Amino acid sequence: MIIIDIILIDDSAFDLFIYEKLLIKSGIANTVKTFNSAQEALKYIVNQGVMLPETVILLDLQMPDMNGFEFIDEFADISVAIKNKIKIFMLSSTIDTRDIEKAKASPDIIDMLPKPLEIDLLKKKLAHT
Amino acid sequence: MSDKHIPILYIDDEEHNLQSFKATFRKQYNITTTTSVIEAEELLEKKDFIIILADQRMPVMTGVQFFEKIRDKYPKIIRILITGHADISAAIDAINKGEVFRFIDKPWDYTYVENAITHAYEIYRTREDLRERNIELQKANEELDKFVYSASHDLRAPLMSILGIVNLALLEDDVVSQNEYLDLIRKSVKKLDTFIINIIDYYKNARGVSVISEIDFEELVTEVRATIQYLPEYGNLTITTNINQSMPFFSDAMKLRIIFNNLINNAVKFQDISKPNPFINLNIDVSPLETRIIVEDNGTGIREIDQDKIFRMFYRAGATNSGSGIGLYIVHEAIVKLGGTIKISSVYGEGSIFEISIPSTSK
Repeated sequence: MIIIDIILIDDSAFDLFIYEKLLIKSGIANTVKTFNSAQEALKYIVNQGVMLPETVILLDLQMPDMNGFEFIDEFADISVAIKNKIKIFMLSSTIDTRDIEKAKASPDIIDMLPKPLEIDLLKKKLAHT
Repeated sequence: MSDKHIPILYIDDEEHNLQSFKATFRKQYNITTTTSVIEAEELLEKKDFIIILADQRMPVMTGVQFFEKIRDKYPKIIRILITGHADISAAIDAINKGEVFRFIDKPWDYTYVENAITHAYEIYRTREDLRERNIELQKANEELDKFVYSASHDLRAPLMSILGIVNLALLEDDVVSQNEYLDLIRKSVKKLDTFIINIIDYYKNARGVSVISEIDFEELVTEVRATIQYLPEYGNLTITTNINQSMPFFSDAMKLRIIFNNLINNAVKFQDISKPNPFINLNIDVSPLETRIIVEDNGTGIREIDQDKIFRMFYRAGATNSGSGIGLYIVHEAIVKLGGTIKISSVYGEGSIFEISIPSTSK
């Protein structure tokens, strides 16, 4: 069984609560860090630098200030040494095809996962990467 | 614009033609004349004309050549050509090519010219109306686009949250946690419901017919306060109202309710719980011409970079506790519909003041 360190980024305190619990309960997560602002999460990642363990990020799309795609744009510019430690999945309730295609086309996003998060799906996707 | 103020530019190399035209129509229209096409172009730069009359036979260039030259730069101006009999084929050609709206035969007679100008003005107005409608339509389409996009998010997100909780609850045996989950579901349902009510308000405001009635602000405010005082986030907030209404005021009660509801709800939601005495002060001052409404709070305040954006559709300022970003947009739309204004002054961390002015609508 894969056990991973996870960063959750979502403006909904609600969803952070649910998915943190779910990830821990399912036994898939070693640690879960939550951020309600993409900006804060980015700061954290940059500050941790190479100290950051291998991490999976679950990134919400629609957020005020910095949305999921804006986060990806900023993320693209950080050093490869840090980027290599991170796998990003987008986690969103969007059904907009433009969003889904944009996420699929991005080299920094592994996949778009629909909300609510299905742990089995996440496991399957992780096994393939 | 009444016929009288139609700005007309008349170009003719024969001064006496200009003089007699001016003498005849000076009282009827706003006329500018010149004998030179060069000067005519300078005049076009300086002043907005609706109609240009030009003589066909002029030195330097013909009337049609002049129209061809200015057509792309001033497409809205209606062009009328004045010709003698000898030039009729040139005039017909110009009309067929779309260079001129119509031509006036020389020597012109009063009724004919007046008629041509009236028609030209009608065409101008119709085109302008069409252009305005198109802009409105474009705005409506853009809003619809944005709406569909955001609605898919704002309607689905709370539902997917609920589904997430249900999935989580199914993994849980402990009854105490189950209750916690139920409480979360309740909050999520509430959020979704608020969004749906907002959307309905928006459409009522945007598409509905406005109903003007006499407004009793005391009653209106009491009504709005009644709906918020049981909100869980109400806390130990103090609301003081100071309503100064000694005369009847006529306006659209539904739009006013939307305005009060959203502003007061926001003030409740964004109160600063770290402050010892959170308050909302509501001031309403009714005068014969307008009502001034001031909603002041000592809540979290709004960052300067957000202040000019908060009235946009689906704009959300700040990550915590924010709604769907439609409330203040609806407030703004309602105020615009009422012909009023809204001003915001806020210091982040200290509080916000919304100042609104609503003109009295005659019944």
